Amino acid sequence: MIVPSQTAKSVPAPSGTPSLELVAIGKSFGQVHALTRVDFAAFPGEVHFIVGDNGAGKSTTLKILAGIYQPDSGELRINGTQTIMRDPSEAHLQGIAVVHQDLALVECLDIATNMALGAIPRRGRFLLDRARMESDAAKVLADLKIRVGSVRTQIGLLSGGERQIIAIARAVRMNRPIILLDEPTAALGVRETGHVGEILEELRNQGKTVICISHDLEFVFTHAERITVMRLGNTVATRLRNETSRDEIVGMITGSIVAAKEGVQ
Amino acid sequence: MTIMTTPGPIRRPFLSAEAFLRPETTLILVILAIGVATALRNPNFLNVGNLTDIGRAAVIYFVMGCGASLLMIGGGLDFSVGSVFTLGGIAAAWLMQIAGVPWPLAIIGGLVVGVIAGYINSQVIARLHVPPIIATLGTYFIFTGLCVQITGGQDIVPLPVGFQYIGQGSLLGVPFVVIYAIVIGLIFWFVLERTPFGVEIRAVGGNRKAALANGLKVARLEMALYVVGGATAALAGIIYTARVGSGQVAAGGANVTLSVVTAVLIGGISLLGGLGSITGVAVGAILLSEIDNALVIAAVPPQYNTIVVGVILIAAVAIDHIRRERLYRIRR
Repeated sequence: MIVPSQTAKSVPAPSGTPSLELVAIGKSFGQVHALTRVDFAAFPGEVHFIVGDNGAGKSTTLKILAGIYQPDSGELRINGTQTIMRDPSEAHLQGIAVVHQDLALVECLDIATNMALGAIPRRGRFLLDRARMESDAAKVLADLKIRVGSVRTQIGLLSGGERQIIAIARAVRMNRPIILLDEPTAALGVRETGHVGEILEELRNQGKTVICISHDLEFVFTHAERITVMRLGNTVATRLRNETSRDEIVGMITGSIVAAKEGVQ
Repeated sequence: MTIMTTPGPIRRPFLSAEAFLRPETTLILVILAIGVATALRNPNFLNVGNLTDIGRAAVIYFVMGCGASLLMIGGGLDFSVGSVFTLGGIAAAWLMQIAGVPWPLAIIGGLVVGVIAGYINSQVIARLHVPPIIATLGTYFIFTGLCVQITGGQDIVPLPVGFQYIGQGSLLGVPFVVIYAIVIGLIFWFVLERTPFGVEIRAVGGNRKAALANGLKVARLEMALYVVGGATAALAGIIYTARVGSGQVAAGGANVTLSVVTAVLIGGISLLGGLGSITGVAVGAILLSEIDNALVIAAVPPQYNTIVVGVILIAAVAIDHIRRERLYRIRR
């Protein structure tokens, strides 16, 4: 069993096995090395943020975690077991729900249908259970205190912020132990951002592993347990929120603090 | 947070203000208007026999349109249907007439040929990465050539009486072929509106990337849609062969392809995928067939037929785009 993270010196990692772990992950697209070495571990019951500049490799990392890309090198482990995910449906089976930056919603379908995509409720083997699909969606939205006129509203009719919150609600509805979010507050105002933060903390309190990419350091420092900084295709370091400062995080993002990766040769 | 929007229910009541905004409603009004105008010029238009003819001709467009519309809602396009139509009919005729296979088995053989044709289309698109419009245009020519190759350019006659009966008989004045179309239409309506498969078709057509990201088996679904499209084209060809009583090399062709695509588009199936209904296809097929018939009955020169169809096609697609822009906030 590998020690959860090489950054263990700086971070007393939560005890137990990481629910999701990347070890020395590399990924290239032709001549472009998007990821050179990514080490990352997330545990149940934490909100773990990934921060970094544009092009640092955050989205590529998330796409590997979501089963969209396959790493060229390194290992992906789920609950300590090495796992290969060939497509997003396998990630789903492995217990991972994803909120993509482009939201991945179908405009011409309604809220209830979008929330069910990938796990559509059936009656028997072949019949669509629309009643259950709608009541499931309504229940999740109510639990998250999201008020909608009707779950039959088409996504195309919603604003950017409304779509964002529906995309998050969909991931919550999937009820997977691991939830990945890519810039979940990008399209949101202050109040909605606060609401998303509450949802993240609620998921953590349920013991889920919440992994979130964000540019919004205000949001990161309000809700993070741990923060992993990426730069130029590498993970620079992982810090406990309580033991770091914005200056340190910003320094690692920009490269002015090189510190990091203690123990990595 | 509050989401304030007007609810847009999927299952709308049959008669409501919204019902009048549906594309089908507009088309039904167009059908009635053409009917009245034609009947004023020639009352024979309203004869039961003539109306039956319209229905019988619409069947071909509709049966092919069922598969083609499912495919188009799923974001695909098939230009080969006109040749698969011919190929299916000829394969069945060849099997029963030349190979001596009992005609019910020959029908199944014709359908299998359609399924294979659809599978070939899907593989050319998926494996060779040829855009659907080009891939199916290419297979259109290939299948057309095969038809001539199989028959040596000669129509296949005579066909068994039993086989001809299924295309020519009627029940209480309703032609069998119309009954087939209704049954097929109900099956396709059910699949599209009442099964998870139908929902996934709309999801893939509406936003393919989103469908992939949500873990839908997009490649498998698209393959199934091309296969179904090939099967309905072949089925229509077999029905046509039974109706006319011969396996005709020139039965289908580019004209049939374009008519089917036109019927489907007029029926409100969106070329952009995701939107559309089987009732729309039925109305589109009837409208096309009515125009064919009305212009003959009213002794209008044939060139007007194509002009009218062209205008209606452009109008239908323009309306679809305007509808989308009104309906959705375009976010790109």
